[in-house]
Amino acid sequence: MDKQHEHIVRSYEEELSLLNNKIAKMGGLTEQVLGQSFDALERRDPELAAATINEDEAIDTLEKEIEEQAVVMIARRQPLAYDLRQIMAALRISNELERIGDLGKNIAKRAVAVVSEQQPKQLALGLKHMGELALGQLKEVLDAFIERDADRALKVWYKDEEIDAMYNSLFRELLTYMMEDPRNIGLCTHLLFGAKNIERIGDHATNIAETVYYLVHGRPITDQRPKGDTTSSTPVALKRSAG
Amino acid sequence: MSLAIHTEVKEPAETPEETAKLAEKVSVRRLNFYYGAYRALSDINVNLYQNKVTAFIGPSGCGKSTLLRILNRIYDLYPNQRADGEVLLDGANVLSPKQDLNLLRAKVGMVFQKPTPFPMTIYENIAFGVRLYEQLPKADLDARVEDSLKRAALWEEVKDKLEASGLSLSGGQQQRLCIARTVAIRPEVILLDEPCSALDPISTAKIEELIDVLKRDYTIAIVTHNMQQAARTSDFTAFMYLGELVEFDETTRIFTNPRQQRTQDYITGRFG
Repeated sequence: MDKQHEHIVRSYEEELSLLNNKIAKMGGLTEQVLGQSFDALERRDPELAAATINEDEAIDTLEKEIEEQAVVMIARRQPLAYDLRQIMAALRISNELERIGDLGKNIAKRAVAVVSEQQPKQLALGLKHMGELALGQLKEVLDAFIERDADRALKVWYKDEEIDAMYNSLFRELLTYMMEDPRNIGLCTHLLFGAKNIERIGDHATNIAETVYYLVHGRPITDQRPKGDTTSSTPVALKRSAG
Repeated sequence: MSLAIHTEVKEPAETPEETAKLAEKVSVRRLNFYYGAYRALSDINVNLYQNKVTAFIGPSGCGKSTLLRILNRIYDLYPNQRADGEVLLDGANVLSPKQDLNLLRAKVGMVFQKPTPFPMTIYENIAFGVRLYEQLPKADLDARVEDSLKRAALWEEVKDKLEASGLSLSGGQQQRLCIARTVAIRPEVILLDEPCSALDPISTAKIEELIDVLKRDYTIAIVTHNMQQAARTSDFTAFMYLGELVEFDETTRIFTNPRQQRTQDYITGRFG
């Protein structure tokens, strides 16, 4: 879509840019919470984890503010066409970001839970890579939103497959560690849930990508995205070992 | 997204927090109005706050235009029309027989539904009213005309044809000319009676932007059939029905979660 002309009523314009800025701010905070929670889990750093858990509250507050503003704008401005899509997009994206924030918080809580585990930190290496990938996806899709760049959003949408593939391999890897040594089970269970959270974060990023595409083009993405998470049908063939 | 609209909670009629800080420019108290024996308004109590826009909405015949016509006593021009109660402008009752009507109408300007430019030049349309109240040297009068047209966001469109007839302008421009004419007399309160009902959406948006700007300097009341316009332009909204004021509150509140079921029914198009 070409660059939008400004509204005749300037206060309408101001409200829309305020809404945009709030999404950008919420996105920045969400990235921060995720980055910190991954670090906290990798380093088993309970202080960083605790700080991160607290930061999630600011994300929740912003979500409420955005929802309130969007409702008032729908009532008072009677937005149409691109304006309507901007407000719907703000509502949807703030929802997705709030969920991502919660998942980040959950990872930080797991970081606290695994502090006393003695296993080598290499076990969490795969998780770290997966987290980096998800964080990259989130950054990319938020940039696509700010730039109103549907093509960029579409790339994020397709790339989610990589996170799914990584999750599948991580699932098997962690399963192997657990089978090797039951002392790994505690840590690996937390890591497994962490991996699942990251996989969910990827899905929320693709939801945002869909919203950005809809915002720009006014129609949904019609292509079929390959569903890559096959762990729910992966058999767990535990060999009964003696003892 | 739940707005909890359908609950009819008996909340205490607390004044919204915001209103505590607001200055009452016009204060209507226990106002009744009669067309002959017919009582058109009963027991109206409402405030217009300084530098705020107050919208009056309601179905035809609910008394919103009547109320506006009382605020500058335009009704005085007609026989058999009578008001009792109080309308305080900065604390002084404008319904008092001692009120100087010319002075009142200079303080409380009015713009009507249909643009009503005088059949004279654009310049004279504005200068005419100013001369009634003030003796200004030509240069000052020119400056006043320019300032008024700028405030009405019309200057850029007419600056090169101030000697053209006011009637040669488009409907939207004529309406802004009428607003410029009102502003030129330096009123304190501006009453807008359906100012956009004869205008297209672009002209309407221009007037609405103008209202946004004008409220920094004036207190504004607008009567409109178009409640979306009330939602867009006003800070406070009063819903009137059958000569009564049903609900008055912040516009955001009225259009997202009104207290009264009748308001809810009206703004959602459920009136039976």
